[in-house]
Amino acid sequence: MYLRILKKDIKRKKTMNVILLIFVILAATFIASSANNLITLNGALDNFFDKSNVPDYWFATTNAPDLERFEEFAEENGYDYSISRLIQIEPKNVLVEGKKFEYSNTLALSTLGGIKIFDKNNEEITHINDGEIYVTGEIFQSTENDFHEGGKIFISQGGIEKEFTLKGYTKDALFGSAMVGMTRFLVSENDAALFGGDGATICSSVEVHTKDADYSDKFNALSINAVLSADGSMAKMMYMMDILIAAILLVVSVCLILISMVILRFIINFTIAEEFREIGVMKAIGIKNFAIRGLYVVKYFAIAVIGTAVGLGLSFPFSRIMLNGVTQKIVISGEDNFLINIGAAILAGAAVVLFSYLCTRKIRKFSPIDAIRSGETGERFKKKGFLRLGKSRIPTVTFMALNDIFSGIKSYVSMIIIFILGTLLVIIPVNTINTLRSDKLITTFNMVESDHVISQELLFNPNEDNKAMVERKFSEVREMFSENGIEVDVFQEIMFLSNISKGEKRTNSVSFQGIGGVTADMYTYLEGTSPQNVHEVALTYIVADRIGAEIGDDVEIKVGEDTRTYTVTAIYQSMNNMGEGVRFHQNAELDYNYAAGCFGLQVNYKDNPDKAELAERKKLLEKLYPEANIYTPGEYIGYMIGNVAEQLDSMKVLILSIILGINALVALLMVKSFITKEKSEIALMKAIGFKNNPLTLIQTMRIGIVLLISVIVGALISSPLTPLIITPFFKMMGAYSITYDIRAVEVYVVYPLIMLGITALAAFVSAQGLRKISSSEISNNE
Amino acid sequence: MTNILEVKDLCKTYVVNKRQNNVLKNVNFRIDEGEMVAVMGPSGSGKSTLLYAVSGMDHITSGRVDFCGKNIAKMNQKELANLRLDEMGFIFQQMYMLKNLSVLDNIILPACQSGKIKESRRETTERGHALMRKMGIIEVADNDINEVSGGQLQRACICRSMINKPKMIFADEPTGALNRSSSDEVMEELAKLNAEGTTVMLVTHDVKVAAKCTRVLYIVDGNIQGEYKLEKYDKTKLRDRERALNGWLMEMGW
Repeated sequence: MYLRILKKDIKRKKTMNVILLIFVILAATFIASSANNLITLNGALDNFFDKSNVPDYWFATTNAPDLERFEEFAEENGYDYSISRLIQIEPKNVLVEGKKFEYSNTLALSTLGGIKIFDKNNEEITHINDGEIYVTGEIFQSTENDFHEGGKIFISQGGIEKEFTLKGYTKDALFGSAMVGMTRFLVSENDAALFGGDGATICSSVEVHTKDADYSDKFNALSINAVLSADGSMAKMMYMMDILIAAILLVVSVCLILISMVILRFIINFTIAEEFREIGVMKAIGIKNFAIRGLYVVKYFAIAVIGTAVGLGLSFPFSRIMLNGVTQKIVISGEDNFLINIGAAILAGAAVVLFSYLCTRKIRKFSPIDAIRSGETGERFKKKGFLRLGKSRIPTVTFMALNDIFSGIKSYVSMIIIFILGTLLVIIPVNTINTLRSDKLITTFNMVESDHVISQELLFNPNEDNKAMVERKFSEVREMFSENGIEVDVFQEIMFLSNISKGEKRTNSVSFQGIGGVTADMYTYLEGTSPQNVHEVALTYIVADRIGAEIGDDVEIKVGEDTRTYTVTAIYQSMNNMGEGVRFHQNAELDYNYAAGCFGLQVNYKDNPDKAELAERKKLLEKLYPEANIYTPGEYIGYMIGNVAEQLDSMKVLILSIILGINALVALLMVKSFITKEKSEIALMKAIGFKNNPLTLIQTMRIGIVLLISVIVGALISSPLTPLIITPFFKMMGAYSITYDIRAVEVYVVYPLIMLGITALAAFVSAQGLRKISSSEISNNE
Repeated sequence: MTNILEVKDLCKTYVVNKRQNNVLKNVNFRIDEGEMVAVMGPSGSGKSTLLYAVSGMDHITSGRVDFCGKNIAKMNQKELANLRLDEMGFIFQQMYMLKNLSVLDNIILPACQSGKIKESRRETTERGHALMRKMGIIEVADNDINEVSGGQLQRACICRSMINKPKMIFADEPTGALNRSSSDEVMEELAKLNAEGTTVMLVTHDVKVAAKCTRVLYIVDGNIQGEYKLEKYDKTKLRDRERALNGWLMEMGW
């Protein structure tokens, strides 16, 4: 009997069942693949780090005496360590297939040694022939450069030139993430020796394996100037963005499950309302509630089983697509976590069945006679709507749409919830991406706002007068602009490796001094006041926390060979080096021979040009500096944090497509059900002379108005929700207080209009079904 | 008198399970302006089908239906909708109304949708009120439709059918769902409208209702078997009219 009823029901409510099935499939696919990704990624990172033999502690330094001191210290304490040489190469000296290598962070040539590095087939790379080169998966993926196996990479530096053949990409646990701020190309010992001769800037990467809990304290006490310094857990944090993306997908999946449930509830309520009489008759002849509920649940069980099975099948390729980017960076073992997919999909299906059973509870509540009367006793204590056609001035069609909504707002609750969720799923990621790309975010990267950034990082050489070199560079830039009739302020962030201590507590951190047309008070601080003289500094939350320093405390900072005492006057936030940072006064006397690097050259135009003029000047800069890249501050951040924003961007497109699909399906479903429910009213309106177009318009407008209300509510909720959800992720990267870049036109106009357009179109298409209703079908009225 | 509705060789066939069911077979009749014509016949004889077919609510299989000289069988959906909106009024047995609108809003809805009478929304509302007052239901203007009695609702349906000042009203068993006193009130109102010049065609089983009309068409198995004119009888002498009609119906096999 169940089969017969099922067959009949599937035939009668084809569209509804198909839409529900689509949602169950979507939910099962997403939940299975994102749960798999999250668990796989988390486990795979541990696995990858173990397999790579990632050290417990790791640092890189350019200072040879520091390295010697460390070696003595390690020998004394019996630490197991290894040193590999990183030969710094200026990215501008690299040509990829004859084209300039687009990369703004630090680049180094390295040989094998230290951690194990794997190739694309997850095989350990044990030998590299002369003339062969490997790049990291992160670099290999970059869209700006044409990296492909067998491609040619030409490097010329310090009078040495060599063309390499790209052997492939590496899965390099230490340098595989853009968040490290540095990448390495692997070459043979001979080729490394070729470029690592006299005059080359060599950085030593030191890997330490020890279980000594006091290692950090002992190491910090050495006051080594480290370019990078991290322990195993920090190295893992550098892959946070990849986990973040999997987490966002999981959130989307949970929302999809919620949406499926809302739709399920709507369909069940609709079906029960439609079949009230049949239910009443069944009750009247003595069929038990459980059996009647079973009739409905069996259908949803069938849909859940089919949806879960299809969703599960789809989740495997979907998981692989989602993990595709990550598999180029880390080794993920061949054994797929099939069980996770199966478990998650079954959970999703079970949730649907359980929910459908719960939704049929109302069958228990009414008596047979209630059901036979279709649940209507004729009594009503509430007025239907408050709008009156006679008293309003709005067009009839708009009135009818509005009046229908306000007369039965309960019927629209499901739709409103779905549309609000959809709006939030679109707005929150867009706000996050816009914030990540905003020019203002540069203030959380140890920089001040500027009009443009020129990627002219200076290569500091301990044997040269670096300060003079910087000043020379600035005056060259100013002159060049002046020749073109433009007056500019030029400034740059110079980076130092420093060791900071307060009492017994010590830590290493990068520190910054802005020089040129910039002063310490131009930076953003969260507490206190900017350093006012050469003896004052500002610390990031992370650094202050590590050494227990507060505003007003004196701290000792060692840069190069000098150790000086400074007073902490302010606390700030930084997203560089996972939140590390020290800000010196612009006139603080620092030994530039120990400068570890710098950011791009920042340019501020004194005549405050408008947007169009800025775009023109960017073109001019590109002509003046053909060898450099010219960025807006937002673009420069994108460059520094790698392709995270791009990944989020593609995620944004994916989420938007999903939401548009969901909205369209929901609109189709709702309009279809409204038409079925209101068949006789539509026939009546046709009988009294309404044409198809206004009737279609009423249906479309109802959906449009509901979406509009939902978008407004969603947009209002999104403002407090965005920081609540996203700020924790920024905090992990060192930013404690973020001003979100909410682009009103994009977020509140463009996306809502796209959503409105697509949803209204779906409603309009679905509403065409009412054309088939004839005015003579009026007698269907109950 | 000019005819308002002329039906020639009207056929309506339904196909059910590949079997043809000829509901109306070569029906011919005409209704002149100002007439009030009742269609009577046994159940399943095709009375309602005839009413819906000649009013453009349903498609016809063949034949010709001229309303005010225009063949509605050749009209498209849009033209038919315009005709129903502006030139025709409908009253149904079940007092169909839109549940989400008040009684008054249901009445004025066709006028708000139509461009036939150029007036403001306020003027439309005033006309709605005037019609309700005339029908004696002004006190329920702002009520929801489930807050009024069947008789009041049917009178509201008459108001709605009149709001666009139609040339003709089609009524399908307008008193079928009402008790005797409500039925009498509704028929009184229809008769008044007819007296004021509106042509009425109604379907009924009730001899008392039909007796108030000027002419009665008797239909059996989709054929008009005959017609009976009641014009010769005094309008005030209802009993005489009923008796005469009953006699004729008996002859016809009622």
